[in-house]
Amino acid sequence: MPGLTSESDDLAMVPVSLETENQPVVNYPLRHGLKSPVHRLSFSWACGNTLRVSVFRKPQSEKADGDGEAGGRVVEVKLSNSGDEEVDAARWRRMAYSSVTPFALLQSRKHSLSAASRMSLDIPPYKAEWWEHVIEYSKEISSLLSDRKPPPKSIIEDAKSVVNEIAAPMCLKAAWELLEIFYIDKQSQSWIPERLLDWLADYNSLFSGTLPTIHSKLVDFQQELVGVQVVEDNPNYWDAMSSALAVGWLETVVKLLRLHGSYRFDQLSSRETENGLVEAVAVLISKMPRMRPSLREDNLGECYKTKPDFMKAWEKWRTQISKLDCSSYWLQCDHRQTREGLKNLIQIMLGNPTVLSNATFNWMELFISHFLYVRPFTAGLESMHNSAQKCMQVKPASIPHKLFGLVLGILGENTEVVLAECSRSFGPWMMVHAVELLTAGSTHAEILLHEEHSKLGGVSIEELHRLVYAQVLSSHALTWQIAPIYLTSCIKQGIRLLENLLYKQPVQHSQILLKSIEICRLYELDSINSNIMRIAGVHHWKHGRKGSGVFWLQQARDEFRLNRIAKQLFDFVGKSVSDEGFKQWEGLIELLGSESRTAGGLEFLNKYRDFRRSLLQVHGDTPTDAARNAAEALVSLMKNPSTPQRFWLPLLYDSLKLLMWQERPLVNVSQTQLLLNKLQELSMARLRPDFVEADLPSDALSSVRLALATNLGRAILEE
Amino acid sequence: MDKAIIKLDEGTTCTAWNYSGHRLAAGSTDGTLSVFDSTDPASSVFSCSSKFKVHESSIVKVVWAPPEYGDVVACICADGSLLLWEEVVEDSELLQWKLCKCFDRISSQVLDVQFGVSQTSLKLVAAYSDGQVKVFELLDPFELKNWQLQAEFQNVIESVSKFGNVSCRSASIAWNPLKGEIQQSSFVLGFDSDTPHLNSSKVWEFDQDHQRWLPVAELALPADKADPVSTVAWSPNIGRPYELIAVATCKEIALWHVGSNPDSDGRLSVEKVAMLSTHDSEIWQMEWDMSGMTLATTGSDGVVRLWQCNLNGVWHEQATLQPTS
Repeated sequence: MPGLTSESDDLAMVPVSLETENQPVVNYPLRHGLKSPVHRLSFSWACGNTLRVSVFRKPQSEKADGDGEAGGRVVEVKLSNSGDEEVDAARWRRMAYSSVTPFALLQSRKHSLSAASRMSLDIPPYKAEWWEHVIEYSKEISSLLSDRKPPPKSIIEDAKSVVNEIAAPMCLKAAWELLEIFYIDKQSQSWIPERLLDWLADYNSLFSGTLPTIHSKLVDFQQELVGVQVVEDNPNYWDAMSSALAVGWLETVVKLLRLHGSYRFDQLSSRETENGLVEAVAVLISKMPRMRPSLREDNLGECYKTKPDFMKAWEKWRTQISKLDCSSYWLQCDHRQTREGLKNLIQIMLGNPTVLSNATFNWMELFISHFLYVRPFTAGLESMHNSAQKCMQVKPASIPHKLFGLVLGILGENTEVVLAECSRSFGPWMMVHAVELLTAGSTHAEILLHEEHSKLGGVSIEELHRLVYAQVLSSHALTWQIAPIYLTSCIKQGIRLLENLLYKQPVQHSQILLKSIEICRLYELDSINSNIMRIAGVHHWKHGRKGSGVFWLQQARDEFRLNRIAKQLFDFVGKSVSDEGFKQWEGLIELLGSESRTAGGLEFLNKYRDFRRSLLQVHGDTPTDAARNAAEALVSLMKNPSTPQRFWLPLLYDSLKLLMWQERPLVNVSQTQLLLNKLQELSMARLRPDFVEADLPSDALSSVRLALATNLGRAILEE
Repeated sequence: MDKAIIKLDEGTTCTAWNYSGHRLAAGSTDGTLSVFDSTDPASSVFSCSSKFKVHESSIVKVVWAPPEYGDVVACICADGSLLLWEEVVEDSELLQWKLCKCFDRISSQVLDVQFGVSQTSLKLVAAYSDGQVKVFELLDPFELKNWQLQAEFQNVIESVSKFGNVSCRSASIAWNPLKGEIQQSSFVLGFDSDTPHLNSSKVWEFDQDHQRWLPVAELALPADKADPVSTVAWSPNIGRPYELIAVATCKEIALWHVGSNPDSDGRLSVEKVAMLSTHDSEIWQMEWDMSGMTLATTGSDGVVRLWQCNLNGVWHEQATLQPTS
């Protein structure tokens, strides 16, 4: 898992390495918990890198029936490991979320700078600005990886505490810092060995799990120290100091030296010379020249910013050590262990290869000790790489640590190895975010990462990693929302993958629907947006929430389905014209009506609704004006070409009371003639085979005809 | 990393997840279909929400229809019948699963069925044991009982006379998973039959101008054309200039690149880019992940294998999931 120190068993599967043919197939057990033998498997990809495997049991023979065991199990396998236990998963998600902003900011800055500089970031003013952005980005990512708590400060400083236990530093942070040191932090280029020394001091404990380290040795000794009376008699005391000195943990050595028994008041007089020698070594150690601008808090040594000053100081320091080494005072020192131990420390400072090799436990520690005491003026990656190779020969690692692989890749200036190590050991999160450091810091890396690979459908490695990481994010319901940030930074294939991701969201859940729509609008994915709303609309419609259904189909501008719904409503209207029926679909027509352009038939439904409303208000004692309004609505409906023919008769039949209005005729001569013509047309249509007879009493037609004829007569008289 | 999420009933024979992976339909030997749901989209806790008898005989395959048409499953039963069931509220009743269509079964059995979405309609391709392929079309998206037979043909690329007395053991159909505005209806289909001409996988495309289905590519080398095809899988294309289709035969799993521009005969260029070992087993199922970069396969060897391509274009087995109790 990203962020944990254990060897990653991540199957996020980035096809980056070129030697994958020779790589062994990862074998992964699928724990299904069935007792009986497995009969067969079937599987399905869920969102992202999640695979659901159905494991079916062998069909039971009838005799053995009834053992109560399940017929099978469905096992969910998350191929990209983004957290197993809740704590780690939560930590992983926190990291994923907090890295979004720096990443997105850097992308947008890259875009605006590219636009300003017409595609090339190499032109000086833009380059400088770009560097600042990358440095800022690197610092931000680095700070979010750090979840180290400051060590608890006790009121009385524990004199015997030599190693500060820190909350387990993350491997990811260690790797990130390495990349930062070598690719980004140009200001520290002249003092890279010192930065590596600091790096090893910070992360030495990471290796303790798999390798013997100085850190673990010091931790062991610290525990032993509590019970030791006379430290200088204990060989471990001297060993611990020589090891700490070898990798430049000067303050630890000085602190330990001051625990020497000769410092005790009761012994000062008898062991004066011995104490003088101990103190002389302690002073020399604390005055060691360091080629760096400043020291970290509590660190010892004297800083030199320029190489000539440093070399001068170094020569002087070494002369002082040699002088002390040859001093006659050693003869006066009676304590054998002290004499030998101090001499050993001097040998380390003089760069004795055998002593250094004995004091260190792995090649990385030996490598650092060589920087400090054998070749303090080493510069350039090539000589560092040679030195590292030599140290590895002296101390070959049986189990190579993943961080060592990364160090070697960087020193060897082998971008492929760096990429492969990052990908294999630190997972997709690291890849996506570290690529920015690599492309900014190395031209070779930039070319390699941006080259389009036809074998992969035209994507670059940079884009491939973003796609892979986006799939990891898509695998979880709590992280899929941030996948679009990474997908939209992929020019070639990101948008289509984003569409696939959005299409797979369960949009019947309104929150997910709204989130998906928001993403679609942000990235102008109109087609998928309509599709999502269509899916939601159909779901609601079929699950009895007709109003929501119509609403979302309208949002989707799905005229096809809306027309079908309108047709269903027609059918419904045709079936029942009772008052209860009217109430049921009145609301739907209201909804459909807000966008009557979408369907011609809806215009009719709206008019029909108005007509029904006014007709319902008409009773025997209604004033004639209200009845006249209803009659106007009827005529307008009958005139309208969008009114389906099969509604003509039901409409007229429903309106009998208007046609036979007692007080005076409500429909004038020309209007009555129009209605009669419609009736005539209807009689002709009845002869056609596809005519659908309205569900009305058999005498409906004749009673309408009679009413119209009577009305015509009355209207003529009135006019 | 692996977690058992659903306990299946005794006698379960097949399962199918819906489009979002939040519903599972499980068919069983007694013709019962169980539907499992998770209430919260973020949780992987599933419970059985419905259980109903679909048919008298055993269910052998369940296929979900695209979500644009609601919650609809097609069930293929052991006696070769094909039924569509839909979850719907009708006439102010409660939500329930209803049989909406039982396709007529005359003499042949349905072997495989797959839904494909086009701009205005839902299409359903069914492959039958007599070697016939039928394409049905749904005209009204809310009326899942009204299917129109759009076409009927045999899986042959040259228009030779019709093969009679064909017997097929299995068939596999995969639609082009293209989504979005421009949708060209096409699918790939292969048979495992006693008639060599029908077996090899062919890509069928709908010719809008002449309203007919045309074979536009054949995914088999001349020597392998008679090899029975056990299963096919069409990879989602998120930006490649070509399509990628996996075809499993008794010999191997072949990966094909299919070009997008037809030549003067209307045929698409094809190239076999990889041959993956079947490990001497019969391949029963293949499926691409959502990016189309990883192929998962399973078969008679009882493991799930994951395949990927490296930067050199070489396909290789990346991981194996092996069941252990």
